[in-house]
Amino acid sequence: MAVTLPEGSLEERLERYLEGFRSRHGLEEARVEGNTVVLAVDPGGVPAVLATARQSLGILHLSFITVVDRQGSFELTYELLDLRGARVRVKTVLEGEEPVIDTVTGIYPTANWHEREAYDMFGVAFRGHPDLRRVYMWQDHFDHHPLLKSFEISTKRTFEGLR
Amino acid sequence: MLREERRAAEEAITLIRPATGRLVDPDIRDEFGLETMDMNMGPQHPAMHGLLRLILELDGETIVRCDPVMGYLHRCQEKIAENRTYPAVIPLTDRLDYFANMHNEHGYCLAVEDLLGVEIPPRAEYIRVLMCELMRIASHLPSIGFLLLELGAFTPILYAFRERERIQNFFEAVTGARMMFHYIRIGGVKADLPPDIPEKIWEYVDGLEKRLEPDFIELIEGNEIFVERTRGISRLTQEEAIELGLTGPPLRCTGVDFDVRRDYPYSVYPELDFDVVTDTAGDVEASYRVRIKECYESIKIIRQCLEKMPEGEVMADVGRRVRPPEGEGFGRVEGPRGEFAVHIVSDGSDTPYRVHYRDASFVNMQLLQEKVPGHYLPDIMPIMGLVDPVSGGWDK
Repeated sequence: MAVTLPEGSLEERLERYLEGFRSRHGLEEARVEGNTVVLAVDPGGVPAVLATARQSLGILHLSFITVVDRQGSFELTYELLDLRGARVRVKTVLEGEEPVIDTVTGIYPTANWHEREAYDMFGVAFRGHPDLRRVYMWQDHFDHHPLLKSFEISTKRTFEGLR
Repeated sequence: MLREERRAAEEAITLIRPATGRLVDPDIRDEFGLETMDMNMGPQHPAMHGLLRLILELDGETIVRCDPVMGYLHRCQEKIAENRTYPAVIPLTDRLDYFANMHNEHGYCLAVEDLLGVEIPPRAEYIRVLMCELMRIASHLPSIGFLLLELGAFTPILYAFRERERIQNFFEAVTGARMMFHYIRIGGVKADLPPDIPEKIWEYVDGLEKRLEPDFIELIEGNEIFVERTRGISRLTQEEAIELGLTGPPLRCTGVDFDVRRDYPYSVYPELDFDVVTDTAGDVEASYRVRIKECYESIKIIRQCLEKMPEGEVMADVGRRVRPPEGEGFGRVEGPRGEFAVHIVSDGSDTPYRVHYRDASFVNMQLLQEKVPGHYLPDIMPIMGLVDPVSGGWDK
């Protein structure tokens, strides 16, 4: 089965994506920055927004999911590409020390390992993920999430001294 | 056993993935009278691409389940980067995908430059593209060689490494190192090309273009064993490839023409003339054809770079202490294995607050989990050749 890649000029497409997100989800703060549509979404609305992107607007590719530990809250960035020059960046903030968010593996199957990595490194639990195991670290006897800011590394002082 | 029963059992098995311990629930095994065998492949397997362990479940010689286990080379690069200054991260990016060092450096520097908003001198941009395309050839040819080596042909790997050696000699003359370059810097490149190098590269690609036909195409393409072992193996449809998030040759061999160089242009690629190579078959053989044709495209780009390269500075004035403003920077390049993206979050200090690498090896490896079941055990190695993952890439 052949996939259909989006057509039309970049400006048209960005406008169409922005309008599509606004009309379906009422995102007033959505804006276009260069070739990117930037959306700020509540955590509960992420799967719905990504479903709109994939199914209604035809944005095919989930590039990556970045988690940032803001010490007290977690910032998640979903970067989507339509493979023809336009990008969509969906941002959300999870409050609290034990973050939970719904999985998007049903919409973008490639999110499977991205979410496993986020779980491994930050302890972000993805509700409904089919296979939420650690991807790099040990399965047993290791209760830490190394990319949390609270996880100190022993060589930190050395690097500070060299600066 | 009846076919329906067997299929029900296989579905039940794929659903059960306990975190530890036994791979298959013994109850299910008994209920369906299945006898499957668990087998470990790697991490110390002589044919394996780097340190990868595959937990395989075999029914006879057919693979029922394949579960890649990663982390044997994990260095937590993203954590180390959070404790280093911006320029000090560049040598670390070399250690990510160690067959695409230039692309990693380029992607990281693009992200920092996105944060800083600096203008790069045109000569530096051309040198960067020149180096990246040489790197692409030096990565594609050995990956073809490894594919053939694992199918039992020893000659192509020697030819591939002969070419790679010569390209590494150029890298050594330009950067001072053969593999870990630390050449592309924030704001440009470390040093200008030595005066005799452009001419030598020109001569070399002329020779390489002539050698590709006899050494890599005539020798391989019509070979019956090669065709037997690769045609129709892991046949991907376009939809599957998109769903798995594949990029690079594994995506293009299905016919989806997506190339970061053309679709998300960076550096001087908009000014260069090249084609995006695609194939329609979506199997291992098609990925080989895509790789070999991309080498011709790289040669085209190298020639244009050498022709169009202007004189001038190779380094913008960035200053010794790189202190980007608060915000986010993105860099995205087309590596030999696909899209390599870097996302940097800055808090205004001289160390990044968060660096995230999106490596194509990591994402493309999901293909093993989804496409290997149903194939015979010896087909794993051609499928690894299709994905062509690099240990440093998937393990960060």
